[in-house]
Amino acid sequence: MIHVCALADLPRDSARRLPLSPPVAVFHTADGELYAIDDTCTHQDASLAEGWLEGCEVECPLHAAIFDLRTGEPDGLLARDPVRTHRVVVEGGAVHVVLSGEPAHGSGPGSVAAS
Amino acid sequence: MTAAEADLDRPEPARPDPGAPEPGRPEPGAPGPSLVRTLPGSAYTDPGVFADEQERIFERTWACVAFAADLAAAGAFHTVTVGRESVVLVRGRDGVVRAFLNVCRHRGARLCTDDAGQLRRNLQCSYHAWTYDLTGRLVAAPNLSSMPDVDRVEYGLLAVHLREWLGYVWICLADEPPSFEADVLGEVVSRLGEVAAIERYGVEQLALGRRLRYDVAANWKLIVENFMECYHCASIHPELTEVLPEFADGYAAQYWVGHGAEFAPTAAGFTVDGRAGADRLPGVTDEQDRRYYAITIKPQVFVNLVPDHVIVHRMTPLAPDRTVVECDWLFAPDALGRDLDPSVELFHRVNVQDFAACERTQPGMGSRAYRDGGVLVPSEHHIGAFHSWVTARLR
Repeated sequence: MIHVCALADLPRDSARRLPLSPPVAVFHTADGELYAIDDTCTHQDASLAEGWLEGCEVECPLHAAIFDLRTGEPDGLLARDPVRTHRVVVEGGAVHVVLSGEPAHGSGPGSVAAS
Repeated sequence: MTAAEADLDRPEPARPDPGAPEPGRPEPGAPGPSLVRTLPGSAYTDPGVFADEQERIFERTWACVAFAADLAAAGAFHTVTVGRESVVLVRGRDGVVRAFLNVCRHRGARLCTDDAGQLRRNLQCSYHAWTYDLTGRLVAAPNLSSMPDVDRVEYGLLAVHLREWLGYVWICLADEPPSFEADVLGEVVSRLGEVAAIERYGVEQLALGRRLRYDVAANWKLIVENFMECYHCASIHPELTEVLPEFADGYAAQYWVGHGAEFAPTAAGFTVDGRAGADRLPGVTDEQDRRYYAITIKPQVFVNLVPDHVIVHRMTPLAPDRTVVECDWLFAPDALGRDLDPSVELFHRVNVQDFAACERTQPGMGSRAYRDGGVLVPSEHHIGAFHSWVTARLR
């Protein structure tokens, strides 16, 4: 589990980019939901964390490709390939992501520090 | 050919000193005290002079470039030309209007190519998709996240100084703009005696009743000079002199300080046929009622004040012999429901008459007959101060 930040530091309608390889974006929607996806748009190299968050979708800031935060699926107009989705865990007031395929260890917050 | 003959053939270009005629100066053909020299013809035709004016006048003074209410919503933008630059004006999500040079910081492509419109999200260059938010900050670009050393503020859009006044957006391209109070408000003081005189019209509360755009084939200075004097009024402005009879005497309101030309007793309002216009604006005093006031805010704005509306001219010089003039008729919002045509038609006719006169004058500027310029009669002598102002800035 990768520590992202304190929940208080990720207010609603905002996003945070984790400079992993590949980078991951964590979103806190206006409705209070938390989602994590791969940060890089599959159409052209751009950070989705810098995109426009609307409902459960993020629009790429460059060419407006839209990805569903729940499924990673693109709208199909520009981007054809989905982005991976990751699980978000809030524990002790902190936000963590569990990368796809990575097993949840159940260890305490900050067990794997985000760089 | 002797030197004397050469002088006769090709006299030195006139060095006008219009503000202070020197009758004793031993200059061949110098006018007597009644007449003051204008600028030479080349000042109105020479591309080099025009380039100097763009750089030293229009790119260094405050320019009135947009009606703020036209940029109502966040993301609303206008592109305007000031001097040799294209500038984009955009209202941010914080409600603040900002101005930026309309040039992408990446490879220099023009960002906004439309005159006006509504941005969906950001300002984006259509070349490589460098993307700027409405505060000008670089927010996205292809591969930008793998270039962490790129400073997004340093490579943001270049901001231009901006003020809002009279409901208009004013910008200045200078790195260190001149004092708005001295240069812009100062013109109001020197014409009306005090800024409070224009504030009584509550111009920023007014709404756009009509806008007309005139593409005038004349040098911008001819248009300024025309607006400053009324020696021509009896000749070409029959409707205007009907409403403002004193204009037939040839003295413009701008000849004096604090003077408003009085309406004819037969004129109920400032309209093309003298019929009543809209209701008097709430702040206008009895002294200001039934009078016309005019202000030239150098170098490109004319403001006309009448009791029920305000007319604002904004000029954009595009070439030595081409100037676009946008004219707005502003009324109280609740007057927009009434028939504005009789009010608008009066000054529209004045504009058409004036610009036709300027276009008739422009070809003469390149004539041998006007090589040394022309002359100003006493009711036009105050134009000499404008010429001095221009000349001083080009030195």
